[in-house]
Amino acid sequence: MARVTLDNVTKRYNDVVAVDDMNLEIEDGEFICLVGPSGCGKSTTMETVAGLTKPTSGTIHIGDTEVTNLPPKDRGVAMVFQNIALFPHMDVYDNISFGLRLRDFDTDEIDRRVEEAAEVVQLQGMLDRMPDELSGGQQQRVAIARAIVREPAVFLMDEPLANLDAKLRVHMRTELQRLHKQLDTTIIYVTHDQAEAMTMSDRIAVVNDGQLQQIDPPLVCYNEPANLFVAGFIGSPSMNFVEGELTTDGLETEYFDLEFDVDDLDAAPGDTVTMGIRPEDIYPATQAESLATASSTVDATSDVLEPMGDEIFVYLALDDANEETMSDEGASRASNQLLMSVDPDSRIEADDAVSVAFDRSKLHLFDTASGEAITHGVEAEPSAKRASATAEADSGGQHE
Amino acid sequence: MAGNEHDHEKTTIEGGPLERWTRGVITEPEKRNRLYRALFYVATGFFLVTTLFPFYWLLVLAVTPNSQILQGDWEISIGVLPFDIPLPTPQEFNVYAFVEVFQEIPFHLYVFNSFVLATVTTIIVLMIASLAGYVFGRLEFPGRGPLMLAVLMISYFPPAAFLIPLFDAFLGNAVVVPFLGIELFEAPRLVNTPGSMIMPFSALFLPLAIFILTTFYAQIPDGLEDAARVEGTTRLGALFRVIMPLSAPGVATAAVLTFIAVYNEYFFSSIMALGNEPHQWSPLVGGILSYQDQYTTEFNLMAAASIVGVIPVVIIVVVAQEKIVSGLTAGALKE
Repeated sequence: MARVTLDNVTKRYNDVVAVDDMNLEIEDGEFICLVGPSGCGKSTTMETVAGLTKPTSGTIHIGDTEVTNLPPKDRGVAMVFQNIALFPHMDVYDNISFGLRLRDFDTDEIDRRVEEAAEVVQLQGMLDRMPDELSGGQQQRVAIARAIVREPAVFLMDEPLANLDAKLRVHMRTELQRLHKQLDTTIIYVTHDQAEAMTMSDRIAVVNDGQLQQIDPPLVCYNEPANLFVAGFIGSPSMNFVEGELTTDGLETEYFDLEFDVDDLDAAPGDTVTMGIRPEDIYPATQAESLATASSTVDATSDVLEPMGDEIFVYLALDDANEETMSDEGASRASNQLLMSVDPDSRIEADDAVSVAFDRSKLHLFDTASGEAITHGVEAEPSAKRASATAEADSGGQHE
Repeated sequence: MAGNEHDHEKTTIEGGPLERWTRGVITEPEKRNRLYRALFYVATGFFLVTTLFPFYWLLVLAVTPNSQILQGDWEISIGVLPFDIPLPTPQEFNVYAFVEVFQEIPFHLYVFNSFVLATVTTIIVLMIASLAGYVFGRLEFPGRGPLMLAVLMISYFPPAAFLIPLFDAFLGNAVVVPFLGIELFEAPRLVNTPGSMIMPFSALFLPLAIFILTTFYAQIPDGLEDAARVEGTTRLGALFRVIMPLSAPGVATAAVLTFIAVYNEYFFSSIMALGNEPHQWSPLVGGILSYQDQYTTEFNLMAAASIVGVIPVVIIVVVAQEKIVSGLTAGALKE
């Protein structure tokens, strides 16, 4: 068990910067997820911690030891790989004991530790099988057993569940959490699946283009994304973004205007901002009346309905123009579309005229140019009559 | 409908026998399979005969006494044929030749020489080619292409081109600066020792082994090497503990090719061994040739010695083949 510290770690491959000035401080016993889209440098970051690649510059500490130039075997780390990487020419016992045998443990000790590890991952009785006689999930458990048997200071997991089928993945997710509780070891976990990151980790480190975007507990990343990238990346379906201009009494966009208090914001009227609102924070106007922090209403037309069983995703068209359904930015929908999630018993039909309201306390504003967050949640205009001050306080409009 | 079909059948039956047979092969799977099977047996039979017939001839020569070889009647009549055809058949059954092989000269020592030369060369080649194969197959570095090309170019040199300078060097002559006559140092005299043969053999057979191992090592997934290194090996440890065992078929191929080539080698060793004597490290072929002197050639003993000499190679190939097959089936590299 140990802290892991990355100071200004940069990794360049010829002209490509894979990791750009990464600073991370991972506490002892913490479960941290590195998430980001494919090719964002999260795996490279992990490889530098494992020692499989040497950073171009910067230093890495595990515990109090600087390990930047140590070979992987001397770092006290264990790793679980995306492609599982069991040695195909060894049986399960030999695979698990590989690291112990290299370190000249005596036979009894190896036996004892392998038994223990096999018990933790529930692999008893399979020790003499070959890897190709095991199912995908069992292979993954062998890989995990191989990692825990050495009692490493740090566990590195590089998308360990990516090659499993969906059902097994969910199962292994809970197993990993149980394992973390049991071992209480520092775990660095790389994934592009934000569901894994949200459910398992103590903190999420969102990485894009080799740069750390935000490192916070999952719900903070979800509720208070530091910038447009994090806002769009965390959450599924992703957040709605509408670009607009800040005015003295709210926001003016191409399709609708919103009124809120702009006085306390860290932005001046006239600034170009991007409004972000999650699908579950948009309500049909009829329901919004009971919501203390509802904004003024916006008129739209329902376009496509996606019933999911427990909720319905309603695509709202903000204008009559023929929407291009894909936009070039990371967001999955066009700028003139909003995605709203409603109760399954809601009676919205396709092509209905729908009036919707946003939950003001869950409204995010970002500086369009820099992408940085301006605020999460806005206050009602002081002159607005709809919202009572007490209700405001209850629902806690969060200012940054 | 029925009439139409009848017409159709009529047209198929028409045409010559070859045409009918061809059409049958094309349309009927059973006939086609029969043809494929027949072709398979013909081809297999052809290759078996061409490869095994010389061996049979050798066996016949070995059991036929030498006097009979030159004067014997080598023609046999086969039943219906109106004329005799030349076919080697044993004239007598003289198994004693296989004992005589060892009585006439110490043939086992020649076999031992070749065996030692081949084994040592194979080990050296595998060690160096493994390292080179790892570097060429698994690492990215500037100049990899040109270096690989250089290895390829050297492998195209005729071995004989190296002979004279090597012989001169191995004779132990002092190295002299040209024109000035200053002696630099005295090279060790290596002729008549295994060193003078193993060194050139290793150099000559390295390129092929490097190429084989490069392709095999390149196919091992990076993840396995990374896993081994995180688990506690060095890069070299990962090469010998994970990459080489998983490339067993390639390693076996390179080893067998090198071993057989050196075991059968005569050109270099006949020159580096100054006389055709076992204590001068004269190889197997040198032993076979010493059944021939100025006046007599003992063909039966040469044939018997050839057969004896082949046996170690046969054993090794059989063993290695088992390894190759097991390596192929156990290799669960599904990535």
